[in-house]
Amino acid sequence: MKLHARVNGSPFVAEVPATSSLLEVLRGAGLTGTKEGCRIGVCGVCTVLVDDRPVSSCLYLAGCASEADIWTVEGMAERAPSVVDAFVECEGMQCGICTPGQIVAVASMGPDVRDENGVRRYLSGNLCRCTGYGTIVDAALDAQARRRGEVAPT
Amino acid sequence: MTLAWPRVVGPRVDARDKATGATRYSADVESEGALHAAVVRSTVPHAEVLAVDASAALAIRGVTAVVTARDLERRFGDELCGRRVRDMPLLARDKVRFPGEGIAVVLATTRRVAEDAAALVVVEYRELPPVLDALGALEPDAPRVHESPWRYDGAVVDPSDPPNLQSGLVEGDLVAVDEVLGRAAHVVTRTYRTPSGYQGYLEPQCWTASPRPGGGVALLGTAKAPYRLREQTAKTLGLALDAVEVEPAPLGGDFGGKGGVVDPTLCAALALWANRPVRLALRAGEDMTATDARHPSVVEVRVGCDADGTLLALRVDAVFDGGAYAAVKPIPSANLHGMAECALGYRLEAFFVRSRIAYTTTVPKGHMRAPGAPQAVFAIESALDELASAAGVSPVVLRRRSVLAGGDRDAYGHVWDEARGTETLDAALAAGDAAPRPKDRGRSGWRRPAPSGWRRGRGVALYARPTAPPATTSLRLAPGDDGRLVVELPFPETGTGSHSVVREELAASLGVDPERVEVRQVSTASLPYDPGVGASRVTVGLTAAVRQLAGRWSESGGTEAVTIETGSGTEPPALSFCAQVADVAVDPETGQVLVLGVVTAADVASVLRPRSHRMQIDGGAVMGYGFACLEDLLEGDGQVWATNLAEFRLPTAQDVPSLRTVLVEGGRGVGPANVKAVGELSNVPTAAAIANAVAEATGRRFRQLPLTAERVFWALHGEAGEEAGEEAGEEAGEEAGEEAGEEAGEEEGPA
Repeated sequence: MKLHARVNGSPFVAEVPATSSLLEVLRGAGLTGTKEGCRIGVCGVCTVLVDDRPVSSCLYLAGCASEADIWTVEGMAERAPSVVDAFVECEGMQCGICTPGQIVAVASMGPDVRDENGVRRYLSGNLCRCTGYGTIVDAALDAQARRRGEVAPT
Repeated sequence: MTLAWPRVVGPRVDARDKATGATRYSADVESEGALHAAVVRSTVPHAEVLAVDASAALAIRGVTAVVTARDLERRFGDELCGRRVRDMPLLARDKVRFPGEGIAVVLATTRRVAEDAAALVVVEYRELPPVLDALGALEPDAPRVHESPWRYDGAVVDPSDPPNLQSGLVEGDLVAVDEVLGRAAHVVTRTYRTPSGYQGYLEPQCWTASPRPGGGVALLGTAKAPYRLREQTAKTLGLALDAVEVEPAPLGGDFGGKGGVVDPTLCAALALWANRPVRLALRAGEDMTATDARHPSVVEVRVGCDADGTLLALRVDAVFDGGAYAAVKPIPSANLHGMAECALGYRLEAFFVRSRIAYTTTVPKGHMRAPGAPQAVFAIESALDELASAAGVSPVVLRRRSVLAGGDRDAYGHVWDEARGTETLDAALAAGDAAPRPKDRGRSGWRRPAPSGWRRGRGVALYARPTAPPATTSLRLAPGDDGRLVVELPFPETGTGSHSVVREELAASLGVDPERVEVRQVSTASLPYDPGVGASRVTVGLTAAVRQLAGRWSESGGTEAVTIETGSGTEPPALSFCAQVADVAVDPETGQVLVLGVVTAADVASVLRPRSHRMQIDGGAVMGYGFACLEDLLEGDGQVWATNLAEFRLPTAQDVPSLRTVLVEGGRGVGPANVKAVGELSNVPTAAAIANAVAEATGRRFRQLPLTAERVFWALHGEAGEEAGEEAGEEAGEEAGEEAGEEAGEEEGPA
């Protein structure tokens, strides 16, 4: 089948098998920033935005993304630069394999997520084995504060 | 050479690329025209392979070949593969020894076709009796996993050993320990169990191999010890060392894994066999269940003290399930150094440690963060609390009486100039008693509430670990474009920040802006030997090497490339202590254990990158919590039942306890940067601290991990059921009976 969508703000057209996951299609198109982890929707490393909602792209049928507005980590410097900066400055990463999913998830947080409990609940679908989550939570809170204009962007 | 300038700690060298998806990991590198490999894996634990019928697979369009052990033997001979003990075939030859062992490989033009076709390969088995229990495997009449394991290259056993012994290690003096225990006022003997586990990296392993003109092969993939993977691959395939080149790639975590299971060497063999690039990518579940899980343990501890609670002697007898092959273990003893060093933290008149690893027909067991130590320390630090109770002193008093201090001789005979056990323990206790500070974790002072009606408990545990002097490594410094400096190094960035340490150390040594220094991992063809990432050697070795490199660069005028190769350091090791205090709440109705907080006190020298350093401690404590409460591969009936990350539960951001870290500063480290290793410290005592806290909360001692709600529920409610019977039964024998038994010389557990 032919998939027509927008990816990171640009038109995206690909011929894909009907059973392909969105993850396979994105990676197949060279957008390898989105990683394959558990492949059962548990670990969150493949998180992308589909029409502003974070989804596990490993479980998301590519065909369901027809006409959708898709954003991956490669688009985050444009769509959510404060989130990318917050992760860099707070060292919200170690090995980096979960980082694309964490950043995309944080980019989809609404303004209602303001405190640490809220951040931890929101990110509970994004596993990290390295950090113990402290600096990731720091980065998410920092990004939320920047969006509210409480921290001047550097 | 000393630092010319203060060290400037900036953003990690890899941060921006990782945050924008630009970092290319092993699975992100496509090789033009590569065939995709999918492994047909055994479904049974132990069997003769009578026939492999690949006709249905070969009929699928896109499948180019189905490769078996015979095909590889014809090309490469019958060498076996292994990191130290070479006992594992690349593909099973006539016999499979664990569920998940590779029997054949489908090569196809796409990964999807290869995987679909692999499911169509029919294997005919004649099943043999499985060997599933490590203790039983060491009985003289146990079915044999290997006919003559002592014949393997690198074997550490001989024909007089029990039939399935994979490795045996002994430290200390058995006669002396029994003599001292015989006159101790209080002795407890207890047996503790831990399950097999998965290291938990979220990047499944992946390799791409490409044949080179002249018969060589290049291998790009997940490899934390590239030079050792090169050696393993060359030896197994009968190639010259320089015919194999391992190319650089960052690692998406390893935690002890990714050192060199057989699969990368298999990938290289397939590429040479097919004379085309071949890509072998594991799925997460395949990586969890068929590569190198953490050793499950049965550890018997016998420990005694005098009337006032001063420790006298410690006897530890551990049996580990080593799985079907020793091949994945990286050290010559094919054992676990955490076991060898487990008597390190206390003054003892005598000690004896025996660590036996048995072959079974289960997935081969390998190393995971501080190999052997989490298992040993869970057992010993739990037993110390049980001994304290028997002696009528508090667990803290018992530890304070005997923990190593500066100038003390440890049980192994080494005298430590600096040993800050008491200081570290006291720092953890003081922080545990203090009110939480807003900056402890995140910005809002997040701390878990204790639900009302739940029982509260606090536990403490200690761990002592030496930091060895700098190990061998190599580096090159060359002038780059625009006045930049390019440092080339021989191992991957695994996530710890090691490449950032190199940049900052070099910049400070030469007095240049860190932004001018570029750090690059290069292939095994480019630099002299390095043993790879592991054993907490990286920061120590690198900082020593960087200063040597900077010295040579300055001497040579700094215009042409300089390569250095460092030898092993000869200075004495340093000792680090880690003390943890865990606060728990236990639901008396459901048995659920909520770990409210873990305080970690770490004994440190210089800290090079404070945030990276803290993440090692935090990440370790969270991993220790997972080991204590969640993680279990559920091996049973010869299968791994937790085959994915929904069944094998890693801690989430919401699960983790509130963490607080206290650094006991001012210590003396090793090497020119004066550091103590931190990567394999805080994950070790956590399980014992939590189990000790649960014991205080419930009045029940849990000697088996993980501390699941089910396990705790049955112990509290005493219903029929094996778990309840075991826990309650042991508890019923409390002090008087058990101790009398001990004094009468009763033996139990892994004798």
